[in-house]
Amino acid sequence: MEKKTIVIGVIGADVHAVGIQILYYAFSEAGFNVVNLGVMVSQEEYIEAAIESNAEAIVVSSLYGHGELDCQGFREKCEEAGLEGILLYVGGNIVVGKQPFEDVEKRFKAMGFDRVFGPGTAPETTIDALKEDLLGIK
Amino acid sequence: MIELANKRYDDEEFFREREEVLKTWHTGQEVDLSEAVEYQRSIKTEKRFCTKLGNAIKGKKTLVQPRAGVALVDMHVQLLQYLENEGEADLLPTTIDSYTRLNRYEDAEHGIRESKTHGKSMLNGFPAVNYGVKGCRMVTEGVKSPVQVRHGTPDARLLAETAYAGGFTSFEGGGISYNIPYAKNVPLTETIKKWQYVDRLTGYYEEQGISLNREPFGPLTGTLVPPCVSNAVAIIEGLLAAEQGVRDITLGYGQCGNLVQDVAAIESLRYMSEKYLKRFDYDGYILSTVLHQWMGGFPQDEAKAFGVICWGSAVAALAKATKVIVKTPHEAMGVPTKEANAAGLRATKQVITMLADQALPQDSVLLSEIDLINRETEQILERTLELGDGDIAIGTVRAFEAGVIDVPFAPSRFNAGKMMPARDHDGAVRFLNVGNLPFDDSIKAFHKKKLDERGKAEGRGVNFQMVVDDIYAISKGRLVGRPHK
Repeated sequence: MEKKTIVIGVIGADVHAVGIQILYYAFSEAGFNVVNLGVMVSQEEYIEAAIESNAEAIVVSSLYGHGELDCQGFREKCEEAGLEGILLYVGGNIVVGKQPFEDVEKRFKAMGFDRVFGPGTAPETTIDALKEDLLGIK
Repeated sequence: MIELANKRYDDEEFFREREEVLKTWHTGQEVDLSEAVEYQRSIKTEKRFCTKLGNAIKGKKTLVQPRAGVALVDMHVQLLQYLENEGEADLLPTTIDSYTRLNRYEDAEHGIRESKTHGKSMLNGFPAVNYGVKGCRMVTEGVKSPVQVRHGTPDARLLAETAYAGGFTSFEGGGISYNIPYAKNVPLTETIKKWQYVDRLTGYYEEQGISLNREPFGPLTGTLVPPCVSNAVAIIEGLLAAEQGVRDITLGYGQCGNLVQDVAAIESLRYMSEKYLKRFDYDGYILSTVLHQWMGGFPQDEAKAFGVICWGSAVAALAKATKVIVKTPHEAMGVPTKEANAAGLRATKQVITMLADQALPQDSVLLSEIDLINRETEQILERTLELGDGDIAIGTVRAFEAGVIDVPFAPSRFNAGKMMPARDHDGAVRFLNVGNLPFDDSIKAFHKKKLDERGKAEGRGVNFQMVVDDIYAISKGRLVGRPHK
């Protein structure tokens, strides 16, 4: 099987550094070629990395509450840069405080994210989704 | 290249730099130092951080303090009032939003506007610099208890100027503890220097008879940080602060999870910091301690989260920490509601009050754990001093380069990241790989033995999977990450 490339990182001014190292480990173990941008990643940095590495998915993490502000316009920027239809995931504590997940998911999907994951998502859940969306494995 | 040394700021240099700092955002122009000193003098003694901490030390009490901050002034004041009235908080915080922490005041301004539009906080804290001295005074005057600024800001010079002039009587952070866990690309030389400025500003107030409390951030990355590493950093930041004339210092530690190790860590922190402050001839200081309840991942279930909160409260009480920083049942979901925040405080207060008259027996298990942390911390600090030819500031920069001080899971590229921690069979945090920490052979052998014991009990090799399991363990309901059956 050819290895699929994905770009991961923590968006905005967020410095939560532990989880992204675990995701890097788990996604790599699951057989993906993972470009880990670490913490405090701008939309432009994800896009540049995705172009350079010929990635098929960008997986955005956010833990600190500013996710909604940081993700505004991300899909549009991807398209402008020529990444039409690239798979976009977002997950973590992506809004300020405890809010009904269905509402949060709706808002982020409206922003153009293909999948939205809530607080405490296990890496396996995201791995299953990546395998389904990128490899057609259910 | 910035010249760095652990030396009191030159007055002329300080005041020259000050002018530049105050120009970095328009609200800086509101800060008038002599007016600010007089304003601070008018704050009643019972509303000062130092007074409350001093009384707690004398009365052998543990005070409770939440984290809290929202984008809009009136909402923030209401939140703090709620926490002191309904949450029985002894000390109040003002947690600063993440844009302000990176000096991105334009983004914070956007966040304030969006928050007004949506009628709810779109920022994860209070953007104190954007509101300036006047906005800060509305906060500190709106409550009965002393208020501290809590954040994670590598360059906090303008924030400190604004906060002190705004009536805050304590300021968290330090040149190492607000860099390594909070930044990716900022050299240590730069942040140590900028935090020497904050300490000198604090020292200036002290010289005018205004005692302000300074608290280096103890838990660092909050995830499996071995006690000797965080204690060494806390002691260094204590020394750096004392050199600039700070006299009221709170040193902190983040709960790891094993009761004996945690109590030992606080006792060692107290002993070793006194030892080093005396060695460098600082006097007239008041030292207090703070325990941070578990800083890693939390369970989603609120009842289980209360379990974690209460276990941290027990540590704080049994270690006789001067104060405890409290988590909330919403921790797994991010920024809590005021009700959840107050609930965490009340649960904490209940446990602390119940344990106020109890202590762990000073038995051989506790004493040998204290002795181990003392020795490890001393070996780190001595090697650091050696690397700096006796200067702790220079030594710290070189120690991080060499991995002599190494913080696990830190985002900063100025941290070596060669050391890897893991829990032993009893849940105490040990070294799976010591990296370049300057330990003697007996200490290295001890940690290896402890990890081998766990590996044997779990029927698996000692490797990174253990660390991954440990990181998820508490959110899954246990302390040690056991293998999947």
